[in-house]
Amino acid sequence: MTSQTSIDVHQLTKDYGVVRAVDRLTFRVLPGRVTGFLGPNGAGKSTTMRMVLGLDRPDSGTATLGGRPYRELDEPLRHVGALLDAGAAHGARTARDHLLCLAFSNRITAARVDTVLEETGLAPAAERRVRTFSLGMRQRLGIAAALLGDPPVLMLDEPANGLDPEGIVWIRTLMKRLAAQGRTVLVSSHLMAETALTADHLVVLGRGRLLADTPMETFVREHSRPRARVRTTEPERLRSELARAGLTAEPDGPDHWTVDRAAPDDIGALAARHGIPVLELAEDKASLEEAYLRLTADRAEFTTSRPAPAPGSTRANTAKQEV
Amino acid sequence: MSVKAVLHSEWTKIRSLPSLMIALLSGLVATTGVTALVSATHDGKESGADFDPVFFSFFGLNFGQIAAICFGVLAVANEYAGGGIRVWLAAVPRRGLYYGCKLAVVGLCALAVGLVTGFASLLGGQALLGEQGVGPGAPGALRAAVGCGIYLALLTVLSAGVAAVLRGPVGALGLLVPLVCFLSPVLGDGPATRFLPDRAGQQVLHATPEGPLGPWTGLGVLALWAAAAVWAGRLALGRRDA
Repeated sequence: MTSQTSIDVHQLTKDYGVVRAVDRLTFRVLPGRVTGFLGPNGAGKSTTMRMVLGLDRPDSGTATLGGRPYRELDEPLRHVGALLDAGAAHGARTARDHLLCLAFSNRITAARVDTVLEETGLAPAAERRVRTFSLGMRQRLGIAAALLGDPPVLMLDEPANGLDPEGIVWIRTLMKRLAAQGRTVLVSSHLMAETALTADHLVVLGRGRLLADTPMETFVREHSRPRARVRTTEPERLRSELARAGLTAEPDGPDHWTVDRAAPDDIGALAARHGIPVLELAEDKASLEEAYLRLTADRAEFTTSRPAPAPGSTRANTAKQEV
Repeated sequence: MSVKAVLHSEWTKIRSLPSLMIALLSGLVATTGVTALVSATHDGKESGADFDPVFFSFFGLNFGQIAAICFGVLAVANEYAGGGIRVWLAAVPRRGLYYGCKLAVVGLCALAVGLVTGFASLLGGQALLGEQGVGPGAPGALRAAVGCGIYLALLTVLSAGVAAVLRGPVGALGLLVPLVCFLSPVLGDGPATRFLPDRAGQQVLHATPEGPLGPWTGLGVLALWAAAAVWAGRLALGRRDA
């Protein structure tokens, strides 16, 4: 069921000396959705992308686009748009010239160059030399280059790097729109909150191996525990009753308590039984970051030398008070 | 992929980088300028039987060839700056096609400017030499002017090949400038010196070349040097990860 525009990675392996950067990696990126490509630094995300683009030679395994290796694509910019490195444009060229050099090699017109400059908000800076660009503008230039051939497949390595908040919203909207148009979009990132807002599907790497290849929702559900958040006028009594039921309540901001491994139903019933007034009670939605850290902590052999973070200590959306 | 499209892209790359255009044109300026200077101030003391007015017109090439080396090196090395080679190879993944088109455009640019340099040096130099000067119809004169263009083109391609092996400007210039500019004066007139790229290639600039290499066989030896560098660059580009 190879789609015309899927990215297929099969048993891909790459060694750098004694270090195995990518280890028998197999996954498929399908069109019509944004696939987040996650993993800590050095997990092999960029190496995998370079092998898909035919830039690095795998030691074994294959990487194909719609069943064909990248190097066999005729005018590849019309098939695949890639953003690899924001610093890749020569500083002494103007943005427009940089894109023209790329466009001409694939018989893309100068008019299309002006269109992508417009689309990425670079039109006013088109005749400026790239060395005068901020990191965010270089990033936009890289994205403009990826869009040049109006390709059905896009691979973006850390596209949000250096973008300002407005730029981050722009790239998020752009990726979603490209996927909605039926394109294949693979986006690597180490920003969990950003990926959570963008991706529909996840491919997670750790030390070059595949840790997960699942829809976002499934991933978060499978790699998080239920947790409830509660506010009460009698915290001490609630806490001791919870402890008696085998649950631990941790303070979480003024008057708030979070209870691990508990659903709101359990706590509501327990509080009612003991006549403890409850002011607020809600399910604490697990974040992608939390699920991701838990997955990597579970696979202890894949984590780096830093200690595995304790569950709940690194939550994205809650400013936790020190106690 | 279309060869014409890739050539178009490669020409756009050169045209759009001011440093490359400066390197290309400074070869012309340096060669003709220095030749004009020494020709105008030539006092005729050397004018014995050994004096070769044709070769004297290319005195400035000692300086101009450094510009040709820089042009060849930078045209290739600039592609690697900041990981840029990945962008270019993603656009043209057939590395032989990419490399061939780049060298063709770089070589043709150098040949065009080199021919202008050759004729400007010859005509200007002879005019400024005054009564010691010879016309373009003198034996070997036209051949030397054309040979100057070919010499600069081959030297540029040689430099481009070396830069493809070393993937950066510093190493390539550090190797090429001493090899081409300083080695043969330092070694003097040994039999091996005659086969160094500059000495062999400059045979074509003499009205009556001496030694085992003639004007065209000398250029042939330079062409072999260039071919070796191009081949090594092709191997490096094909084998290495980008």
